[in-house]
Amino acid sequence: MKSIVLSSVVVALLVFSGCSSKEVIVQEIQAVEIETIAAEERIVNSGMNPLSHMSMSDIESELLTVYFDFDKFSINSKAQRKITKAAELGKTGAASYNVKLEGNCDEWGSDEYNFALGLKRARSIKKALVAEGIEASRISMVSYGESNPVCEDKTQECYSKNRRVDFKLLP
Amino acid sequence: MLIFGLTFAGDATIEVIKKVDSLPSIGLEDASINYGDTFKLKFFKALVADLNVLSLFNVDRLHRTNHYNATDVVVDNKDMNYVLRYKMYEDNFGALNMDMKIIKKGKNVFSKNYKVSRKNIYMFISHAIAYDINEFMEEPSVAWMKRTVIFSRIVGPKKSEIVISDYTLSYQNVIIKGGFNVFPKWANKEQNAFYYTSLDGAKPTLKHVDIKTRKVSSVISSDGMMVCSDVSRDGKILLLTMAIKGQPDIYTYNVASKKYKRETTYGGIDVNGQFMDKNHIVFISSRLGYPNVFSKKLDTKEIEQMVYYGRSNSACSSNGEYIVYKARETSNAFERNTFNLHLISLKTDFIRRLTVSGVNEFPRFSEDGDAILFIKNYDNQSSIGIIRLNYNKNYLFPLKYGKVQSMDW
Repeated sequence: MKSIVLSSVVVALLVFSGCSSKEVIVQEIQAVEIETIAAEERIVNSGMNPLSHMSMSDIESELLTVYFDFDKFSINSKAQRKITKAAELGKTGAASYNVKLEGNCDEWGSDEYNFALGLKRARSIKKALVAEGIEASRISMVSYGESNPVCEDKTQECYSKNRRVDFKLLP
Repeated sequence: MLIFGLTFAGDATIEVIKKVDSLPSIGLEDASINYGDTFKLKFFKALVADLNVLSLFNVDRLHRTNHYNATDVVVDNKDMNYVLRYKMYEDNFGALNMDMKIIKKGKNVFSKNYKVSRKNIYMFISHAIAYDINEFMEEPSVAWMKRTVIFSRIVGPKKSEIVISDYTLSYQNVIIKGGFNVFPKWANKEQNAFYYTSLDGAKPTLKHVDIKTRKVSSVISSDGMMVCSDVSRDGKILLLTMAIKGQPDIYTYNVASKKYKRETTYGGIDVNGQFMDKNHIVFISSRLGYPNVFSKKLDTKEIEQMVYYGRSNSACSSNGEYIVYKARETSNAFERNTFNLHLISLKTDFIRRLTVSGVNEFPRFSEDGDAILFIKNYDNQSSIGIIRLNYNKNYLFPLKYGKVQSMDW
């Protein structure tokens, strides 16, 4: 926050009458003033463009992970809402960044097919982002197969958390 | 003497059923000097494991000692068909030396000596002894026992190690540490160089490592995905799975000219290309709506479905007329699924199931087709398994920590 303090110059004008016989009148025309306009300035600053002052990781946290069904790479309506929101961010706050889509799978299969499934998930999102107006050249993809789990419990809830695509911003 | 109930068949898809008690017995006698009991037992266990994998003997599991030059075998070994007597000793340079002989009916029938520079690579002597005994017994070669396995191990999210090991995983040398490196693949028959995929950079990149010079060079990059699935026998052509335009397809890559060619064009998933011979590959494709095994004649558009069983066959390896593939036996999003390995021959309609439980994946034929190496993942424990096709036997060697991501043999 920036505050600017302006101090007025103390000006004392001595007005001398043309008649020497009269008393000298000293007139103070302006008192010492200290003016603080910091409050105004702060509002202006914070209101100019909120996202330009958000860090890359702040914006990244607004990009929500998209989850997929077992053995699928199709996008459901819930996923589509997240993608639409991500595309809006991509045109505004994240407009200066590129994005890397990281495709991931659950642990059922550590083979190439699983990596390809992770890639197809990332590609589904890329297509959807392009359809929402994001330039394809700003989007790169990588698949990590099952090698980048966020959860390692042997539960259905955990497996479903790993079938996902994460958004990572690149400068 | 009865060696087998049935001799092994010419067709590996037919299961061979043998009676265990029809195998000849072998007992071991340790005559080592210099080394402590812990090390002696460690070596003994390695040797017993190797002899078991040969599948030629009933191996006695008791550790017995004797003098190397004793004329008689120990009393408990009197009735054994064979006795393997060995002596480990350290020389002035700290190398591990080994003398070994096989005694049959009181007579020395085979003898050999071995040496390795350090005692912690003792397992290679054990493998060499097993290899030589197999040769002595005039059985089909087990040269694969002496080959080296390379695998990637996941040690944390986006963190992996590339490890070189013997086929039992008892020797392990971490060759690449740090970073996120996957899908290692031997670059040649000599196993002195390998490829792997680095996922640390902007794009997945295939790298080549010369083990002797430790020189690492980048080969080719692709958006999305990059895997070296197979290397031709002469090391000149690679089968890559790349996604240059975001679409996973199989490409051939000429190592000398650095030119690549797209071999599959299906809009779904095409991965896991494996050479059957110079002109034919098998691969996994989702073109039927689920992963299955297909073949393609290179430089043509001829594509053929290879497997007609199972609704999810997502990995394969081939050797001549044989294809081993991984099949998902259950399809349940809510429970654990079972993945088993199956073997088919191009010449017959038989399918042989090679594993029975757990998650079995990454099948890899030995060069001569005698054995299949695979990964078994069960309860957070990874093991490397070996299947002796002609003997219908599976052996498992557990990994100490981490999860195997991929491996090559």
